[in-house]
Amino acid sequence: MTSLLRVDGLTKHFPVSHGVFSSRLGGSVKAVDGISFAIGRGETLGLVGESGCGKSTTGRCINRLHEPSSGSIEFDGTDVRRLRGRRLKAFRRDVQFIFQDPYASLNPRMTFGEIMAEPLVIHGIGSRRERQEQAKDMLKTVGLNPEHIHRYPHEFSGGQRQRVGIARALMLRPKMIICDEPVSALDVSIQAQIINLLEELQEEFGLTYLFIAHDLSMIRYISDDTIVMYLGTLVEKSETEELFENPLHPYTIGLLEAVPIADPDYEKSHKHDLLSGEVPSPINPAPGCRFSSRCKFAKEICRKETPVLKDAGGGHMVACHMVHSEEW
Amino acid sequence: MPPLLEVDDLHMHFFTRDGVVKAVDGVSFTLEHGQTLGVVGESGSGKSVTALSIMRLIPEPPGKVVKGDIRFKGESILAMSEREQRGLRGNRIAMIFQDPMTSLNPVHRVGRQIAEPLRLHKDMDRKAAWAAAVELLAEVGIPQARERARGYPHEFSGGMRQRAMIAMALACGPDILIADEPTTALDVTIQAQILELMQEIQQRTKSAIILITHDLGVVADMADNILVMYGGKAVEFGAADDVFYRPLHPYTWGLLESLPRHDVDDKGALSPIKGQPPSLINLPPGCSFAPRCAYATRSCGDEQAGLVEMEPGHFSSCRFAGDAGFLAQFENRSSYLSDYAQRDSQ
Repeated sequence: MTSLLRVDGLTKHFPVSHGVFSSRLGGSVKAVDGISFAIGRGETLGLVGESGCGKSTTGRCINRLHEPSSGSIEFDGTDVRRLRGRRLKAFRRDVQFIFQDPYASLNPRMTFGEIMAEPLVIHGIGSRRERQEQAKDMLKTVGLNPEHIHRYPHEFSGGQRQRVGIARALMLRPKMIICDEPVSALDVSIQAQIINLLEELQEEFGLTYLFIAHDLSMIRYISDDTIVMYLGTLVEKSETEELFENPLHPYTIGLLEAVPIADPDYEKSHKHDLLSGEVPSPINPAPGCRFSSRCKFAKEICRKETPVLKDAGGGHMVACHMVHSEEW
Repeated sequence: MPPLLEVDDLHMHFFTRDGVVKAVDGVSFTLEHGQTLGVVGESGSGKSVTALSIMRLIPEPPGKVVKGDIRFKGESILAMSEREQRGLRGNRIAMIFQDPMTSLNPVHRVGRQIAEPLRLHKDMDRKAAWAAAVELLAEVGIPQARERARGYPHEFSGGMRQRAMIAMALACGPDILIADEPTTALDVTIQAQILELMQEIQQRTKSAIILITHDLGVVADMADNILVMYGGKAVEFGAADDVFYRPLHPYTWGLLESLPRHDVDDKGALSPIKGQPPSLINLPPGCSFAPRCAYATRSCGDEQAGLVEMEPGHFSSCRFAGDAGFLAQFENRSSYLSDYAQRDSQ
């Protein structure tokens, strides 16, 4: 299997200033701190983690909406970090975004047709008429009436708007789409519609997805492989079913344990084993394992040395001193 | 003895320039001490307006209760004077909101905000109320409560703010705690902590909880009874087990089937409910779910009866809920129910 995207040691630090009137820097937010993963062509990689773990920053670094601090990104054989000017622009055609909030991500003053034609305008593709025709076709592809190109976002519900967000992402025929929480703002019955649509489109256009979400059940449903992030680091990486059936990292276990299951019998007989405490600040994190402050298995080594991702068998990678120790 | 809270065929309409918005259009349920009622439904189904109506927090106009009643311990809340209503609100019936950042006052210390209901309803002096606030903060699991009480909301994390909101709601020892999407803005690990806290508090205080959520997992975990709402109407009401394992309304079927299932090997396509939620200004005549219902017939457009008790304590508004042949359509088709049936027989 050839990978379409290969990310190696990706790091993004944001400097923290002491205030508007101070030039002194107070360290940095280590939003993403040395993560590596790859996505195969036509596959879906799920990226889970809680707010502030760096999942959106990771997505934005991939198509250079954020300039990475270090690390390498290779997309379809190209070194993305070396791209400049016209070649960077051309690369971005291949990697498109779908955003979380279909209310905020569509310009309320533009019609659906204008919204969808804009990527084509930016990249100088087609005549006005051709762009209109393409927009109509794409509306049909995402399950909306082509006549709607003259209507405005406020006339539609969240699910319909998200379909337009998806249509816009598809206009440039990208190879990959980064879906940043594409269904979390939608109602349950609509979420399933959008997920089905994403799967159909993947089939039809041969798309590769990076699917960022905090909803574990959707990740499990849609992803081939899944990576788990905690406070800027990758803690676990595996084939999806294996990860959910046999989670190894104490954080992944805690995360799965925290999700209530829509089954009263199960909930009655099951006592959730909860993680204590909260995610610490990503500004100048303590040395060692980022999770050690909340981990009930943590030993001295966890507070000193940063664990690295190691294979725990069958390609199931986990970054935990304890999981890899003798006594586990 | 009358039930603790009884909502009886409540209709809360909003009279706007664009027309009458039937935000709540026929909702009935009862709630007893120590019970948790889960209210589920999509955005715009009237869940929050029902809660705000109970709190009498809907400004009138534009809102108006055009029909129905809300009774607290047998006494109509709607008939009470403003003064009597104030005596209930925040005292006997308290509320936690979804977004703890916007519902706490950013310019007051957290301790003062928790002390406020105590000074108002319990006539405590400043010092006693402050001491009680510190104690409440400790009770909801905030470490170093004495120092944190002096802090401002922006110094608290999302989970801590929600704990502070809960402390405020609990201050007067309410009979009913209304929680409107209390964990939607929180991460799952923090959500689990907050839900556990609410369960602990309920066991200790025997208060009743109305938990509004769109997360069926949360209801399965917390609720004794479930009210399912659609388009401003109550469509199903019953014990949690009945609603999950013997659902009597096609909308409930649709909700349960929309969820991705993981205990089955076959990852077929999800089964969403087709179409979009209705506009509350132009509700279709008859059953408002009919346009999206896979089982609807022409008669569904006729006048609707509202909730009908189909089996003891289990209500449905579907006109076919009593028809065994109709229910069998879902039972035969649904992988959802057959999986549970299989599991039970094992």
